[in-house]
Amino acid sequence: MHPAKRKTLRRLGAAAAAALLPACRDSAPRAPRGATRTLVFKHSKLFGNPRALAALIAEFEARHPHVRVRTEALPSASDEQHLFYVINLRAGASDFDVLALDVIWIAEFAQAGWIADLTGLLPPAEHGDCFPAALAAARYRGRLYAIPWFVDAGLLYYRKDLLAAHGFAPPRTWDELARIALHLRARIPGVHGFVWQGKQYEGLVCNVLEYLWSAGGDVLRDGQAVLESAENRRALAFVHALVPRGISPELVTTATEETSRHIFGSGRAVFLRNWPYAATLFERPGAPVRGKVGIAALPHFPDQAPAATLGGWHLGINRRARHPEEAAAFVRFMTSPEAQRALAREYGLNPARRPLYADAELLAAQPHLEALRPILDAARPRPVTPRYAQLSQVLQGEFSAVVTGIREPEAALAAAQREIERILGSA
Amino acid sequence: MKRVHRFGERPAVFLAPALAVLALVTLFPILYVLWLSLQRYSLIGGAPEYAALDNYIRLLGDARFWNALGTTLYFTAVSVALEVALGLGIALLLAQAFAGRGAMRAIVLLPWAIPTVVAARMWEWMYNGDFGVINYLLGTEINWLGNPYWAIHAAIAMDVWKATPFAALLLLAGRLSISQDLYQAARLDGAGPWRLFRHITWPLLRPLLFIVLIFRTIDAFRVFDAIYVLTGGGPANTTETLSIYAYKVLFQALEFGYGSALAIVVFVCIAAVTAVYVRLLQRTLS
Repeated sequence: MHPAKRKTLRRLGAAAAAALLPACRDSAPRAPRGATRTLVFKHSKLFGNPRALAALIAEFEARHPHVRVRTEALPSASDEQHLFYVINLRAGASDFDVLALDVIWIAEFAQAGWIADLTGLLPPAEHGDCFPAALAAARYRGRLYAIPWFVDAGLLYYRKDLLAAHGFAPPRTWDELARIALHLRARIPGVHGFVWQGKQYEGLVCNVLEYLWSAGGDVLRDGQAVLESAENRRALAFVHALVPRGISPELVTTATEETSRHIFGSGRAVFLRNWPYAATLFERPGAPVRGKVGIAALPHFPDQAPAATLGGWHLGINRRARHPEEAAAFVRFMTSPEAQRALAREYGLNPARRPLYADAELLAAQPHLEALRPILDAARPRPVTPRYAQLSQVLQGEFSAVVTGIREPEAALAAAQREIERILGSA
Repeated sequence: MKRVHRFGERPAVFLAPALAVLALVTLFPILYVLWLSLQRYSLIGGAPEYAALDNYIRLLGDARFWNALGTTLYFTAVSVALEVALGLGIALLLAQAFAGRGAMRAIVLLPWAIPTVVAARMWEWMYNGDFGVINYLLGTEINWLGNPYWAIHAAIAMDVWKATPFAALLLLAGRLSISQDLYQAARLDGAGPWRLFRHITWPLLRPLLFIVLIFRTIDAFRVFDAIYVLTGGGPANTTETLSIYAYKVLFQALEFGYGSALAIVVFVCIAAVTAVYVRLLQRTLS
């Protein structure tokens, strides 16, 4: 954009913001010492009792008497949140200080220069406390741009009652899963084998990456596209065959997290790939599968290790924040073990700090966390690149073509390789 | 009269405010997008760099673009043809005298009155392969929105359901504006229903038919919300229209240069189609 035009736009934006938010007119870059400073914290809505977050913020304010924190919820769809941040940060907005970031946006925002370098905010001694994948997702060009807040990872839910009744142990490899799914599906009417998220959207990329990784394959290695490998071909060949072989019903090609959770949750599937949030819902009083659901790491290909796609939220600081020091203190506080413990207990979110998974009090409230820790330890971030959104669009289209059977794995991988090379080459 | 004549001598003065507003809200954005389409510009990168026709050259070799163009043309051709044919049929039926005609005219309009996003959500449930009502009624087990062959047709069916009332309403208005005298005179001369339609209704309705075609073609060519909610462009990009592709490039991938080039292509296509229609319309009228 032309500099003069950008300035005009920014002024327009500032005028609009000033008109809409009369409360934050304290636009002096530095408030005088002793005056109250208001931090604005942007995050997506936390589902549960809003008092828990309010209590934590009150605690922070009590410790920092000159700081007030205002929370502002973002729209619920992840795409809209991304767009909100992009539009505002690109225009140089300074009316929010701390922002919750999806793991896949961090490199992009860091490259754009929108979020502050927070390398100094997490002491090296604490790095071991965090899940390695969560730190890897927040690291760009050797610097840390966000502090892990909550984490997520793909995992396998299975019906332990059905498996036990037919003499099966939880599957360790994809072939075992296929065998059990086919065996049970043929014997239990109305029950599907394996359900997962196969609609063309971000969730599909999360799913398919887990097959690639658990075959020893990958999308990027040292910043180069490495899609056309024997490992990836083997993994995609398995995915390609899931529906035709009857291991998965055809409906997975439109399934998202909630669709697949409903099918498994109503007792109509043996296996489900989903995020940890589903665990609590399956154990709700009155749930049809209550007490019948086991949790395991996702299967892998022979001689390989299981892998899970990392999801979750980090906290970052707007590089144009009006109160960077207070913002840093707030991020420190919100990502501290005590804050994470409180939020995990109240909202069922999975802490980014590993020691909490041995916390007796927390485990009593969220028993599934125990099974989660090894899965999170083995989780991996999606390709960390500022061009991730473009990569994902390519992968979504190609993976969808494989899942619906209209393209052979080799052709899909070759097309993705070509496109991703072009995207990275034009960076 | 003299005063009116004096006004007529300076039309520019009186047109100027309206033209200025139009220029601000229509011309400026179009020129700005045109300018953007000549830049190498990503929101996450630095300032825009002039790239001449690079973005357009990239379009030529972009399989996803050709796929989206093909999908858009197919969607537009099939859905507009069905909408106009069905709309014409419904309009002629509703022009007849029968009990409850007023109520029928109102009911037919309902799909048009429902917000597209709401309607698309509704259809998404109806198309559900697991428990959707469409499979139940047809006795099939098709995953309509997840099947690369069916998905685009499912989207067309929804669009036809949604937009036929619009065509019907306009054509009904046109049909009712045709003087009854013509029909009575023709009947006296012994004309049957087919000849009435062929020689009175059809020629007199044609100008309006072009108007309906222009509106529906433009709308269908730009289709975004209905399909975006229904399938998001999947499976395997089989329902990705030009508008959806442009949206993803602009607002997800943040490539403003290339995305603007896509938007310009949509604009040029629509302008070309409209020009053809207007030419045909003029020929009909003269």
